[in-house]
Amino acid sequence: MTTPPLRHRILTASLLTVAALYFLTPVYWLAVSATKNTADLFGTFGFWFAHPHPLDRLGAVLTYDHGVYVRWFANSLLYAGIGATAATLLAAAAGFALAKYPFRGRETVFRVVLAGVLLPGTALALPLYFLFSDLGLADTYWAVLLPGTVSPFGVYLCRIYATAAVPDALLEAARIDGAGESRIFATLGLRLMTPALVTVFLFQFVHIWNNYFLPLVMLSDSRLYPVQLGLTTWTGYADRHPVLYQYTVGGALLSVVPLMILMTVLQRYWRTGLADGGLKA
Amino acid sequence: MSRTAVTRPRAPRAHARPARPPHGRRPGRTRTRHTRAAAVLLLPFLALFVLCFLAPLGYAVYQSVHRTHRTGPLGLGGHPTETFAGLDNYAQALGDPTFLSGFGRVLLFGAVQIPLMIVLATALALLLESASARGVPFFRTAFFLPYGVPGVIASLLWGFLYVPGISPLVEIAGHLGVQIDFLARDTVLWSLANIVTWQFTGYNMLVLIAQLKAVPPELYEAARIDGANAWHLARHIKIPLIRPALVLTGVFSIIGTLQLFAEPMVLRPLASAIDSGYTPNLHAYSEAFTGDNPHLAAAEAVLLALVACVLSFGFLRLTAGRGTDRG
Amino acid sequence: MIHRPLRRRTVLGTAAAAATAPLAGCSGAADRPAAPRRRKKGEKIQLSFWSWVPGIDRPVDLWNRTHPDVHVTVEKVSAVNGQQYAKMHAAIKAGNPPDLAQIEYPVIPSFLLDNGLYDLATLDAARHRTRFVGWQWQQSVFGDGIYAIPQASGPMGLFYRHDLFRKWGLEPPETWDAYESAAAVIRKKGAWIDTFAPTNGNRFAGLAWQAGATWYAARGETWTVHLDDTPTRRVADHWESLVKRKLVKTIPDRQNAWYKDIQTGAIPAWIGASWGDALLAGNAPATAGKWRVAPLPQWRKGGDAQANWGGSTTAVLAAAPYPEDALEFALWLNTDPKSVALLIDGGYGFPGTVKGYATTDLDVDRAFFGGQEYSKVFADAGAHVDTAWKWGPGVDTLYQRLGDAFTRALADGTPFRSVLADVQRATVTDLRNKGLDAVSGT
Repeated sequence: MTTPPLRHRILTASLLTVAALYFLTPVYWLAVSATKNTADLFGTFGFWFAHPHPLDRLGAVLTYDHGVYVRWFANSLLYAGIGATAATLLAAAAGFALAKYPFRGRETVFRVVLAGVLLPGTALALPLYFLFSDLGLADTYWAVLLPGTVSPFGVYLCRIYATAAVPDALLEAARIDGAGESRIFATLGLRLMTPALVTVFLFQFVHIWNNYFLPLVMLSDSRLYPVQLGLTTWTGYADRHPVLYQYTVGGALLSVVPLMILMTVLQRYWRTGLADGGLKA
Repeated sequence: MSRTAVTRPRAPRAHARPARPPHGRRPGRTRTRHTRAAAVLLLPFLALFVLCFLAPLGYAVYQSVHRTHRTGPLGLGGHPTETFAGLDNYAQALGDPTFLSGFGRVLLFGAVQIPLMIVLATALALLLESASARGVPFFRTAFFLPYGVPGVIASLLWGFLYVPGISPLVEIAGHLGVQIDFLARDTVLWSLANIVTWQFTGYNMLVLIAQLKAVPPELYEAARIDGANAWHLARHIKIPLIRPALVLTGVFSIIGTLQLFAEPMVLRPLASAIDSGYTPNLHAYSEAFTGDNPHLAAAEAVLLALVACVLSFGFLRLTAGRGTDRG
Repeated sequence: MIHRPLRRRTVLGTAAAAATAPLAGCSGAADRPAAPRRRKKGEKIQLSFWSWVPGIDRPVDLWNRTHPDVHVTVEKVSAVNGQQYAKMHAAIKAGNPPDLAQIEYPVIPSFLLDNGLYDLATLDAARHRTRFVGWQWQQSVFGDGIYAIPQASGPMGLFYRHDLFRKWGLEPPETWDAYESAAAVIRKKGAWIDTFAPTNGNRFAGLAWQAGATWYAARGETWTVHLDDTPTRRVADHWESLVKRKLVKTIPDRQNAWYKDIQTGAIPAWIGASWGDALLAGNAPATAGKWRVAPLPQWRKGGDAQANWGGSTTAVLAAAPYPEDALEFALWLNTDPKSVALLIDGGYGFPGTVKGYATTDLDVDRAFFGGQEYSKVFADAGAHVDTAWKWGPGVDTLYQRLGDAFTRALADGTPFRSVLADVQRATVTDLRNKGLDAVSGT
């Protein structure tokens, strides 16, 4: 392969640098601001440090109100972790069934599920709240966990992927060997679909982690809050209790860092999963 | 598996059956067995899908055709009853200029922001995948990072970068002699668009890179030997190849745009130009919660869902032409 | 379809709740779903209490230590954009509300529409009336019912930067005319006297209140909405003139940009309320010692018309299984001297109780106000708040409409008087949409 001319490389590098500045500047601002107190947050230049005490500031976020922040964080992990795991397994099963078993009404079922992808989630949150209240599920962990386990997009992805990546001949061979259908799914299906499953998991994890509206509607007990909702309650009474501005910014940084690490480390899986299955619409 | 067949991996449905080996199994038994297996695998998902999607949707439709009546002295302490309202709530929603202008606003937003974001994502993907790029892992990660920042946090963060008097951006611009107000009436929509672009460009870029990577390198080599320069390569080989990915990102962006909620909600206290009906979703939320009118809110939610479906399917039709097979 | 039974269940549940309630009403008893349960002696119960007031947990902890049988759990709800009420309304509809809730005066009628509040008159709460400031008590009285226990109010006043005013040769204005003149002087010095935040319905209502407006009136079976009345027009004209002359900013108050202006002196005054002391002291610590408080400017020279902005109550929700204990807690929280002291310390506003504290106890931030006994200003204001003012249903929506309309007016130059007329018309429609009788005041 020939090396491109130098001016091409310089042009590319400068364009990429400009873009990187755009994407990283707010993150940089957040990192700088998390080390400030409230007065400096409003009173000093945003892109530079003022009396930085990062450890004290972030420590104060973690210990404020009996460490409620830690609890919110754990809740977020719980909602996103368990929800995404369950969603992935359910979607895998459903997608596999839709791909590999012809039955009457299959396409209808798939179309209905697909339409679910297009429904604005926020539109459903309120009726869902009334429904869950009837079932006694509102304001419990289930209220956020259960909706998180349903991923129509995951089913869509899994079906398309299973169609392409799980050969019928292999299934038939397994059947001849006497394997039951559920074992075929649990061993063959899940294994062959792994790249798509990782993608579904990541998608759903981020989806649940970022979902603000559903917990807002469902939860009133602040001990059940995920971290985002908790942070907005802090901004809600920050005017009476200004130190909360500082805690909100610090808390925002702390909440963003783990997800960023996760995204960076797992980038590879986003790509493989998407390339192999998701885009073949 | 073959990666060349990226666009059409599915075996046509008609081929599914003859492909099965003709061992001495009766087709009827096989079909029963298959139906049972499919049911076992599908049911857990479908049960939860019904609970969390169809049931609330049904409930929303039910609510949207009812209204509350109150009686008693001054209505205070009177007991509300629900009565059938037909399409009155829909008529009221469609007759409300605030709600309609909210729709117009998100459509304008989408018409500008979605193409812009997708062009940007495509450009970045092509740059990163071009032979001229150095430090690719760093740049790719940098562009993708904002996707890990939830909408609420992103809006809080950008809020600080927008507010005059606090924003270092406004300050720097001021030193350069430029007066900008990100939160003014005619700029705030684009400030929101910026937040969304910032969050999702990297993600869309990654989707496109995934598709580019699936293109066999021999194809590029062949083109290069034929004398195609980088631009021709991108324009005539790469972009046509990533079309399906572009369509997918387009559909998701449309849905996302119509649902616009957290960003204006968070910026609302900072920008007086954002009223309670700034986006249709915000309007429905205000009606349901502040206005205590769940019936009207339900009608608006149903309308929103309808528009989302129509636009998404329309877009798929428009762009996919011959090849789209969603069934 | 599989979801049918679920849907019907929901609908039936709502219908059943609606159907049982009128039966109680027919029997002549007060509006209550069922007879209150009385706690057996020694029985231990739990009460839930939704609030957003920072530091409310301290008096509640004290209660829990001293009242082992009735344990109160505080659930902090978010108060951003009225979310707390949204949740309460939804919880009432869904049938799982808390036992007690923090509710601001203006929104009490909205909860009555939901049958959400327990009528404390049936528990003989009237005998506690004398323990509270008269006009505050009256705010939760509708007909024969008593629907909440006052906690705090927010008598209004003028906060100003004493040092800057002196430097610019200004006195705190005694009339609104003087206020406008002072605004012109301040503008010449490169600052703005205040901001007219289009979305701040609460303050606008307070100023209309001071001018003698009555936005809601209940006559017979009908609500009269009269936003577009002479006093309110006067207030609207005043601010329109300030806006047109560019003597005030139009940024939202109590937000980041405003705090910055308060810190730097770009905005050296604020028409606020008693609870604003903690807010200024906390957000502009660098200006400590430079602020003072003066009474609201008057429409008539030498007048003493005052108004209120904010404040809230402790209400018992209609579904509370142990209303007597809930009432006892609400009374204790808002009258017990130890509890009141803790609330004052948390900066919760001007007490609703008349006993158990001294006005100077409220001067929590006296150093910030240069040693001024500033709470006396608010105490005097609180004593002269017009008692004729009444809140009606749907104030939240009214504020929203007012905010939206003022926002548009600032953009396209619609006269403020049209804003009043438009919002009045829309509010009448809103009330009718809620199934109420409503007419426009003329």
